[in-house]
Amino acid sequence: MILAVCGKGGVGKTTVSAIAAQALAEKNGLRALVVDADPAGGLGMALGLTPRRTLNDVRKEIIEEVKEGKRDKRDLSVSLDYLIAEALTERGNMAFLSIGRPEDEGCYCKVNVILKDTIEGLAGRFDATVIDAEAGIEQVNRKVISSVDYMLLVSDTSAKAVRVVETIKDVADRMIGNEGAGLVVNRVRDRAEIEGIQSGTALDVIGWVPEDDTIRRFDGEEKSFLELPDCPARAAIRGALVRAGLL
Amino acid sequence: MALFDEQLGEVRRVLESMSAGGAARQFAAGARELWDKGSTLVLQEDTALEMGNPSVASLSLLLWSEDGGVEDGRITLVGPDVGEALKSGSLPFAQVVIVDGTFESEYDSYRDIRDAVYDTRLAGLSIRTMPSKRTLWCRVGRDAADKGLSLIDLGAALIDSVKRLEEVGSAEVVFVTSSAEDVRRLTSPAASAQRLVDAMMKMYQEQNFDCETCEYQDVCDTVMDLKKIRSKLTDSQD
Repeated sequence: MILAVCGKGGVGKTTVSAIAAQALAEKNGLRALVVDADPAGGLGMALGLTPRRTLNDVRKEIIEEVKEGKRDKRDLSVSLDYLIAEALTERGNMAFLSIGRPEDEGCYCKVNVILKDTIEGLAGRFDATVIDAEAGIEQVNRKVISSVDYMLLVSDTSAKAVRVVETIKDVADRMIGNEGAGLVVNRVRDRAEIEGIQSGTALDVIGWVPEDDTIRRFDGEEKSFLELPDCPARAAIRGALVRAGLL
Repeated sequence: MALFDEQLGEVRRVLESMSAGGAARQFAAGARELWDKGSTLVLQEDTALEMGNPSVASLSLLLWSEDGGVEDGRITLVGPDVGEALKSGSLPFAQVVIVDGTFESEYDSYRDIRDAVYDTRLAGLSIRTMPSKRTLWCRVGRDAADKGLSLIDLGAALIDSVKRLEEVGSAEVVFVTSSAEDVRRLTSPAASAQRLVDAMMKMYQEQNFDCETCEYQDVCDTVMDLKKIRSKLTDSQD
């Protein structure tokens, strides 16, 4: 099962991803792959996991190997498998992979396609995969995210953030044709706010997350959300996953 | 003289010196039933034993001969087997696959044998290979360790895989887990074998015979078999 968490920047996508990943990993000890596909790279910090290398480092190494010209496709394919395993940061039954920030110039579309295929292959070997997507619609547009089973759309209470997830859903329907999608509204102050959003969107609102001091404190102290105690935000995100049929 | 004769000789000398202290044990591949095949992702949490972790010594080597100097089905183990090392959690690891046969097209044969090695996957064992670094990283899952998965099973599976190839007449496998130093003693023949393979790959893939500018000119000039390959390819271009 592949779950992509998408939304506008700054709405709390990473917090939702971290809590969702933990919830799925705890579900009967499922093996969960957590992918930070946001070049801003905050999910590792939210999970308290520091990757030794990112997928972009792997990409650079593979490009170097291709440039050296000493390896054929089969060698490159097994190398990729090795390097991605090295890039996984594991904790219990959870493995974390960070995409990193592509910095080098040049078009390496074929390498990117191979990387995407390898990640999809890797995801297939886990019970659940959670992808914290880049803010906005770019990754959906470029089909970087494909084979998604469920799209968890995250918004705050601003109209702008809701419009962004509506666009993401619209693009995803056309480009990916994913199985399901639901909206989680973050940092909700009261029921009236959520009712206002529900009446103004066609998206299926599967949960709303209240402002939560525990989240704010964990964020401020850079503490891992894997250590998060029971709190209203955590319960709300888990409740949304239950409503989506994921837990 | 076959392509890897020099490297094979060096590997044999190193192994003999390791065996002198009685550290080497030998097993027959046919003596036990083949372990179930399968591709398993073994997470750290489920790992009973790790071999050749990137932070410890690791080496993977494939050599061939054409003079019958391979004892068919022999598995040599220098150091502890899986079941004897579970408490340590991690072992340095070298895997040397040696085959004997008739190799008309060295490039095709090399790729066939290499792919057969890559494709040897056992249930409960995760194997990853980094060809450019000649390293091999294995994780034995707890279930597989409980069921008694041994390096003899891996050796038998490797021998079975490569012997399915027409050109391979006999095969043997050597594992070294005794110490990082012992694994490193195989680095020199492994690096030298890699240069040969790289030179051969370059010849076939690039079809460029401007020897004056080639980084492998020294290798080709020294190794008779590469000279033959080069002539064969040059003739086929004329």
